[in-house]
Amino acid sequence: MPYCVHCGVELNPAVKTCPLCGTAVNDPAACPTEDRPSFFPTRRAEVAPVTRNAAALLISSMLVSVSVCCALLNLALKPQYDWYLFVVGAAVMLWIWFVLPLLVNRWVPVWIRLTIDVGAVAVYVALIALAMDGWAWFRGLAVPILILAAAVVCALGWLLRRGHSVLTTVTLSLTAMGVFCAGVEACGDLYFYGEWSPGWSLVVLAVCVGLCIPLLVIRRVPSLREEVRRRFHF
Amino acid sequence: MQRGSKPVPLRRVSAHDTIGIKWLYLIHAICSAAEAAAEKYAISGALRRPGMILKKRGNAAVVKKKQWYKLDNAGVLYSAIQREEYSAVYRFSAVMAKPVIPAALQNAVDAVMPRFPGFAMRIRRGLFWYYFEPNTAPGPFLKPDVADPCQPIRFHEDAGWLVRFYYYQNRISFEAFHALADGVGALTFFRTLLAEYLRQTGVSVPAGEGVLDLNESPRQEEMEDAYARYVGPVARRLPLVKHAYSNRGQAEPFYTFHVTMGFLPVDQLREKARSYQVSVTEYLAAALLWVLAEKQRGENYHRMRPVTLAVPVNLRSYFPSDTLRNFLVTVQPGFDPALGKYSFGEVATQVHHYMRLHTMPQEMRSQITLNVRYQSNPALQLIPRVLKNPLVAHNYRTRGVRPFSATFTNPGAFTVPEAMRPHIGHMEVVLGQATVPRPHVASISYGNIMEITVAGTQKDADLEREFFRFLVREGLPVRVESNRTDTGRRV
Repeated sequence: MPYCVHCGVELNPAVKTCPLCGTAVNDPAACPTEDRPSFFPTRRAEVAPVTRNAAALLISSMLVSVSVCCALLNLALKPQYDWYLFVVGAAVMLWIWFVLPLLVNRWVPVWIRLTIDVGAVAVYVALIALAMDGWAWFRGLAVPILILAAAVVCALGWLLRRGHSVLTTVTLSLTAMGVFCAGVEACGDLYFYGEWSPGWSLVVLAVCVGLCIPLLVIRRVPSLREEVRRRFHF
Repeated sequence: MQRGSKPVPLRRVSAHDTIGIKWLYLIHAICSAAEAAAEKYAISGALRRPGMILKKRGNAAVVKKKQWYKLDNAGVLYSAIQREEYSAVYRFSAVMAKPVIPAALQNAVDAVMPRFPGFAMRIRRGLFWYYFEPNTAPGPFLKPDVADPCQPIRFHEDAGWLVRFYYYQNRISFEAFHALADGVGALTFFRTLLAEYLRQTGVSVPAGEGVLDLNESPRQEEMEDAYARYVGPVARRLPLVKHAYSNRGQAEPFYTFHVTMGFLPVDQLREKARSYQVSVTEYLAAALLWVLAEKQRGENYHRMRPVTLAVPVNLRSYFPSDTLRNFLVTVQPGFDPALGKYSFGEVATQVHHYMRLHTMPQEMRSQITLNVRYQSNPALQLIPRVLKNPLVAHNYRTRGVRPFSATFTNPGAFTVPEAMRPHIGHMEVVLGQATVPRPHVASISYGNIMEITVAGTQKDADLEREFFRFLVREGLPVRVESNRTDTGRRV
């Protein structure tokens, strides 16, 4: 019987490495053994999950049902307004967010997925603009903010695409939030007053930067980072 | 075990819910309509099934009603927290002297299941609680064994069966959902199953010595909710360490479950435990705590947290009961390495005295009372199940996960009648995956072989490696078997 030279435990003659430490088992006296069945079965059995198409069908039917019911109700309740478009827009947005990923089986780059998600929001806002005859604010205010949101979300998704530490994720998210707020105020100012006069967004940006600086320092200094890990037990 | 003829939701809310009484009438009307429809089938007898009882109503009408059973205290917990990433399933295996004959084993399963109605259940989702009802579907069917055991139970799959049977080479494995029974109940079932299997293969095994007689009817005492029987006047909570060393690793992808088993001679293990003046369970618990403390020390935290174990205690030794359902409480032996350096002997002594101090019947009774009162709390009863489940899950995280570094259970020695002994090589036990990626440890002995299983979904094999190395350093010969292909060891 072979033993692990590091762990001192007796091993199955069929194993090539110790299952505890990975040390190779070298037994010069071992004679080639016949094919013995392994101690544990090797057949993998996985419980089949709910199919993605079935889940997509269920959610789609629910969204369609809600949309149709609201459209019918609109015929009787305040028919002078096309308020059902709000519900239909929300349903379309939810469908793009949740059902589309279920139907697309292959891997899609994160920036494409996020752009499509922001596009869904744009469709919803466009429907609201259509119902309220608000194409002016849609073009002048909503579209720039949506483009900014798409850019920020895609940039954040691209930077975090490979998975980072909690510190990096929080730092980048705070930065993105600060930049987005500054952009929103700029869009609003340009639409309403024709010029950008930074105000509240600078406060938000300053807070985000203030929060990011200590996180960056911790992230960059290994001894500090190790100390934080030790103190927070993770 | 309580048994009723009315649908569960009605029984639950009728005493308290005055606001929703109209809804209750509506539900009752629907149930009555369903009963009337069922009546047709009952009278014709075409679809009458064993799980149904017949009840007279009026002059000659016969109404078909299903039995249902209330979950016990532990069953409520395990049902509420069951999900894809957590498995309240445990496995007992017997490695026989000869290769398993699947047909004989399936016959044995078919013969034994009616004697143990507590295992022939399916779980149903009520409005306020889960409940059991007899499973009359065909089965359960024997299957070839799989690489990753103790997979989570899905209540609506496998025809609703909450038990599974597997075979592989010489090994017979039985898996059960913990809401059905604890280790003692499951081992009684498994012992009877093995006896029947041996009978099917031509071995004469008499009933007795833990093997139940298949010709006798199930006794009511075997299905009682023993927790409810031993409720006392005072409800107290066992003082717990709130935040223990978590011992988490990196999780493997779903369905990858690492099982590492160590085999060692019982006589040498007992001798070693005796040298520390502790029992075998206490010795193994102390060894595990010691290894966990050293592992935490190696991970170099700013301040060490206490290391503790969740150790289930069989209450039948203290409160007489023949129940085959759950009847256990959990105690928390451990020590705080932040206080200073402990020797292993001191840890073993601490575990020994802790177990003596906190397994007093009075204290355990107060724990039982607290748990049962929680279940019968009127305010909690009125909360719908879908809202109650997150509350139970949160309670489990704070009271059942965070205070513990690992779980260790030792059902003890598996004994069988003399006629069965030559046909069983050794026994194995495996606990299903924890809610977090960390290992569960379980042990069982048969004859002179003690089997210890370390099982979990974490990538690294640190705990099992150091635990078995510790036993080797103590002078105990350990043989290791594992389904791991990678130790996940950081170089």
